[in-house]
Parts: sequence; C-alpha cells; structure tokens
Amino acid sequence: MRGSSFGYLIKEGARSLYANRLMSFASIGTLVACMLLIGASMLFSMNVNEIVGYVEQINEMVAYVEDGVDEAGLEEIEASLELIDNIDMSRSIYVDKETALQEQKELLGDNASLLEGLEGDENPLPNSFRLKLRDLSQTASTEMQVDAIEGIESVRAPSEVAEILTSIRHAVSAGGMFIVALLIAVSLVIIANTIKVTVFNRRKEISIMKYVGATDTFIRLPFFVEGFLLGLISAMVAFGLLWVGYDSLLRLVAQNPSAWIQQASQSLLPFQEMALRLFIWFAAGGIGVGVFGSMFFVNKYLKV
Amino acid sequence: MIDFINVSKVYKSTGTHALNNFSVRIDKGEFVFVLGPSGAGKSTFIKLLLREEKPSSGEIYVNGQNLVKMRRRKVPYYRRTLGVVFQDFRLIPTMNVYDNVAFALRVTNVASREIRDRVPYILGLVGLSGKAKSLPEQLSGGEQQRVALARALVNNPPLIIADEPTGNIDPELSFEIVDLLTEINKCGTTIVMVTHAHQLVNEFDHRVISIDEGTVVSDDANGRFFIE
Repeated sequence: MRGSSFGYLIKEGARSLYANRLMSFASIGTLVACMLLIGASMLFSMNVNEIVGYVEQINEMVAYVEDGVDEAGLEEIEASLELIDNIDMSRSIYVDKETALQEQKELLGDNASLLEGLEGDENPLPNSFRLKLRDLSQTASTEMQVDAIEGIESVRAPSEVAEILTSIRHAVSAGGMFIVALLIAVSLVIIANTIKVTVFNRRKEISIMKYVGATDTFIRLPFFVEGFLLGLISAMVAFGLLWVGYDSLLRLVAQNPSAWIQQASQSLLPFQEMALRLFIWFAAGGIGVGVFGSMFFVNKYLKV
Repeated sequence: MIDFINVSKVYKSTGTHALNNFSVRIDKGEFVFVLGPSGAGKSTFIKLLLREEKPSSGEIYVNGQNLVKMRRRKVPYYRRTLGVVFQDFRLIPTMNVYDNVAFALRVTNVASREIRDRVPYILGLVGLSGKAKSLPEQLSGGEQQRVALARALVNNPPLIIADEPTGNIDPELSFEIVDLLTEINKCGTTIVMVTHAHQLVNEFDHRVISIDEGTVVSDDANGRFFIE
C-alpha cells in the first residue's frame, strides 16, 4: 500500500473516532468497564488460586499409628500409603512419638517443664504420619482410604477447609466466565453501534469512494482502524485503572492491623507479576472485540 | 467505446421497465448528449454504465470490457477508468477543494508524489487554482461543479460520464461547464452527458441521443433538439 493511502486510512480512522466522540466515548467506557470487571475477576481468581495453593501447601493430613505396631508394621503402613495416588509421599514425613513430644515442648516454650516425666515409656503421644495431599478436593476419600489401612488408629484431616477452598475456586472461575461472556456480548453490541453511526455519517464519502473506484477492502479499512483504536485505547485505560486500583487495594490490605489478613496479604500477587499477561489479554481482547464488532457490522450495513 | 446491445432492464421490486431493447453505440472521442424526460430511462442508462446495476438482458461493453460478465471484485478497477460528475456535485463537505480532488487518488493507491503533481495541474485546468484551500460551502454552484469535474478528470480517464451536471447551476454557468467539457473532449476524452437542458444542447454541435420510455427515439449527429 502506498504512503498516501496508508496515511489516509489512519487519519480517517482517528478522525471518525473524534467526529463521533460521544459514541466513541460510550464504546470506550463500556469496554473499559467490561475489562475492569474481567480484570478484577481475573486478579481475584489468580489470588484465590495463590491462596488456595498456599493453604494446600501447609495443609496436611495426620494418620496416627496404633500403639504396639513394630518396625515391620510401620514399613507395611508406609507401603500401603505409597499406593494411594493422592498422597505425595516425597513431601510427607513420619513423626515418631519422641519427636512429637519434642515438638510439643518447643511449642510450650517456657512451660515445657509441664511435660517433664513423659519421656520414654510414659509418652502418651502416638507415632504418626504427616501426609501431604496432591488434590485437596479429594480429601474425604483419601481420608477413608488411609483409615482403612491396618495399623492406623485414626486420621485427622482438614476436610472442611478443603471443601470451602475448592468450592471458592470453582465459584470464582464459573462466575468469572459467565460475567466475561456477558460483558463481551455487551461490548460487541456497543462497538457495532458506534461503527453503524460512523457508516451512516460517512455514507456520502463511501458512495464517492465507490464511484472513483476504491476497492471494498479499502472502504472497510478505516472502520477496521476505528475498531482497532477503540479496542486499544480501552485496553490501555482499563489496564492503567486496574493497576492503580489493585495497588491501592494491596496497600490497604497490608495496613490492616488484623494479623490474619496481614499474613494472607503476604501471599497476594504483586501487580507487576501479572501485568504483562494481563495487558496482553486486554489488548488482544479489546482489539479483537473492536475489530470483530466493526467488521461484522460494516459488512452488514455497507453494501459495497 | 460504449456499446449497448438490446439492453433491457426491469426493476423487480417495482416492476418498472426502465429500458426496453435499448441499443446504442458511442465511439472513442465523441461528445454525446443524452436527452429525455424524467422516467425515460436516463438514470438507468448511467447506472448500467457505472456498473451499479446489471441489465436484465442484453450486452454492454465499455472500453472493450463486458460489463455483464464482469466480476464484482473487478468493478472498482473498471470505475477507475471512468470520470463521473453528478447533478448534486457530491463533494465531501469537510474537505477543502484540494483534498476533494486528491481524495480520488488517495483512495485508489496513487503515490503521494504523483498526487502533489497532478492535483494542482487539474485545478488549474478547471480554473480553480486560487481556491484550493476553500471548503465546498464557500464556493458557488458552478465552482463546486468544476471541483467535481476536476475530481473526475484527475485519474485521466478515457471516458467521462456527466449525469445532469448543470441541473443545479445558473444557465450562464452551465454554459461554462459544457464549454469546459468540450475542451476536455478536444483532447480525446469521450464524454457522455445526460441532461434535460434543451437550450444548452442547441448551443453546441454535438451528437444528441433522445430516449423515451426506455428506447432511443432519435439519434442525431450534430444534433438539435426540438420540443415536440
């Protein structure tokens, strides 16, 4: 394409953005709102995933071994545990009763003397396996499998936590998908409307273009450029707003005096870590919606 | 140059028979007036020439190209070989005179350099060099039509089609426009001008084709038009 034509196309696309600034503003506004919601739900679900992952990391199932199981019995139990897929044996550990007592003493700190005299045969604590699970949502069935192993006295599992976490995860991704789909549909309609107005405003120009022999593709290109610019500008605005919003939210969370939230905020993702990915998503989505919306309706309204 | 062979056109939506067995031949370098009352089929004739419409039956050749068989994607390239002038000028109101003329070149992939050379030359030809920066609304009707003519000429087309070019301008300025077209014709460009301005037709010694009810009723080289 020649310079004169290329310049014309870019100029026309930008000019019609300005000429229809009210509609452009409406489209950009809607797209930005959509992207903000999409971005917020993406950030939210990424963070929920991060937190769930963190909780999964520290979560463990404890299987207590019956008193009187000897060395050979322990090995048999370990072999049976190896057979359960959901248990990550490489991260799981065996804790004998002496170590368990030692840990209790450490927990008590200055009051450790309370436990004195419980060493050796007097130790009331059982031997145990601390098991790490691969998939928290399978907690209940894994618990039953472990409980069925001979020589296991009882199992303590954080099944409630697991359930809550997995249902949060599912709800977040399902709800997110629904909102995103709805918003994309809305943006398409709005963009298409903007382009429709542009086509209407420029119908005279378009008819002249046809008479002087501009190709169909050439006539469509300014609308393509307009859709592209609408998408790109929206992506940049939404990205900027989300960045500012997320950062100030993080700061707010970090300042919260509650220790629990303080700790949780440690595992929140900093914006920069997701920025590039998010921007690529925004730009691709915005430009895609803009271009698709404009092309679809230009073809529909322009009998070129 | 232009060959209509037994062309008929029926508009399906209204059932109007716009052209009936219409045949005409126009040679390269001719200047032809096409006359007729409204509803005679003049507009359809133009639309067929511009390949806006296809005939219901018959053959049309322009510049050796078969317009009936022409593929849709070839139409823009065909139109680049025509210059078209309309009664209502069809200038873009937001562009100045220079840009209106350059527009025809910009949208057809002509190099900027050539545009810079060609547009001032053509504006000089139609006598509007001093008005290059004016907007269409700041010009008289006659001047606006000359801008439209400049736009039609700028591609250097072998054929110019003028659809009632004097319909919206004063009689003395109309004469000027046809005079200009005659000058262009002397350089070898074929001109087809559709009009109902009988007075004007009698002022010039050009071929006159009269049509009514979709057929040619008279065809007179060096024509005069007599009101029947």
